[in-house]
Amino acid sequence: MVNLNKIPPKNGRKYYVALGLEGSANKLGVGVIKHPFLENHESGDLSHDCGVEILSNIRDTYITPPGEGFLPRDTARHHRNWCVRIIKKALIEAQIKDPGLDIDVICFTKGPGMGAPLHSVVIAARTCSLLWEVPLVGVNHCVGHIEMGREITKAENPVVLYVSGGNTQVIAYSENRYRIFGETLDIAIGNCLDRFARTLRIPNNPSPGYNIEQLAKKSTHKDSLVLLPYTVKGMDLSMSGILAYVDILAKDLFRGNKKNKVLFDQKTGEQKVTVEDLCYSLQENLFAMLVEITERAMAHVNSNVVLIVGGVGCNVRLQEMMGTMCRDRADGKVHATDDRFCIDNGVMIAQAGLLQYRMGDIVTDLNETVVQQKFRTDEVYVSWRE
Amino acid sequence: MFKKQSLEKLNIPFETSKQASIAAQVLKPDPQLRPEEFKVDYSSQGSDLVVNFQSVDDRVLRVGVSNVIDSIKTIIETIDELQDF
Repeated sequence: MVNLNKIPPKNGRKYYVALGLEGSANKLGVGVIKHPFLENHESGDLSHDCGVEILSNIRDTYITPPGEGFLPRDTARHHRNWCVRIIKKALIEAQIKDPGLDIDVICFTKGPGMGAPLHSVVIAARTCSLLWEVPLVGVNHCVGHIEMGREITKAENPVVLYVSGGNTQVIAYSENRYRIFGETLDIAIGNCLDRFARTLRIPNNPSPGYNIEQLAKKSTHKDSLVLLPYTVKGMDLSMSGILAYVDILAKDLFRGNKKNKVLFDQKTGEQKVTVEDLCYSLQENLFAMLVEITERAMAHVNSNVVLIVGGVGCNVRLQEMMGTMCRDRADGKVHATDDRFCIDNGVMIAQAGLLQYRMGDIVTDLNETVVQQKFRTDEVYVSWRE
Repeated sequence: MFKKQSLEKLNIPFETSKQASIAAQVLKPDPQLRPEEFKVDYSSQGSDLVVNFQSVDDRVLRVGVSNVIDSIKTIIETIDELQDF
């Protein structure tokens, strides 16, 4: 039995309040959440049902011009510029009067992510902690996504597909760890889509992946896919080769290289494939690979529920394909959240951090708050689950 | 100590000694990426934050000092805006 009430709320309150700070990539997020103090959390396995109330969820994204990615240095500068303003905004929206009295714990992203952006946020987190005399908790970004997804969808023990700009993992829980069943061997799926968007020079606003999704919808040749490498390696994936290949196709298309047999009819010289078709085929191909390894993981752990988290998880087409697979399995179900919780945010860090805090896991020495660029999901001991 | 070295010392005044001590505590934990080229030491004396830099040459020193100042700016903004929220 897990006792989530080990540490009582501050000042005899009947609820916990946590502040979450996230800045591992180009999104800067600050969120404030509230957990009611419930008797039944004393014994049981209820970490997916905390009755969370979201008091504020503010995000600011560093958006680069079309054709450019975000570099660590510039992203860190963006986070430094906005961090304090966003924290202030989140506190006001959450109607926090005195942070030292009202907040139980400050949660920040410890990793994985880009070093410089992570560091610029942790500086603010440490300062707030010392100023207000509120304890700190360092959170694994991936675990943040998983816990937020579980709380929102109430999926008790799903197979988790974590797909974002920096990570691609199929995860299932077993014996106090989120175990990685399959992952990318090179680049993340979101990275693959983002970089293809750069080749196409389409805007990064609101996000490159969203714009690819919109282009893909307009494809007029959905019946005949452009053949792309299909690179599932056991339970793992490889995507860099696909990106290199589809990049060449896009460049040939822009240059009008009539020698390319895939793109142009060799007899008439007529163009057979459009940019929209490339986007569509790329998505179908990548998502089919994800569905395959997810289904295999489900068979391994005997589960029929999938939870999709991470930025790419907002993609409606991916949710649709996963849904089809789950329907074909007996009574399967897909859980996904919308862009408020899928895309990196402060609330998810607060959620995972508050669970950690309620189990008594807090930072006792600031040396523990040094950020880690590499921090695998299975390194975290999940004390809040059975 | 480095064979050839560049030195720099910064004194940053804060409003109170508590603030200076907070700043030193916040900055201390982060390790330097190249300890063989650049060393930095933080302490608080009264209401001043004292930062001592040691480096192999002026270029490395310049980059290092600039990074530390960026972090200090965040700390000062946080104290200014969020201390008496």
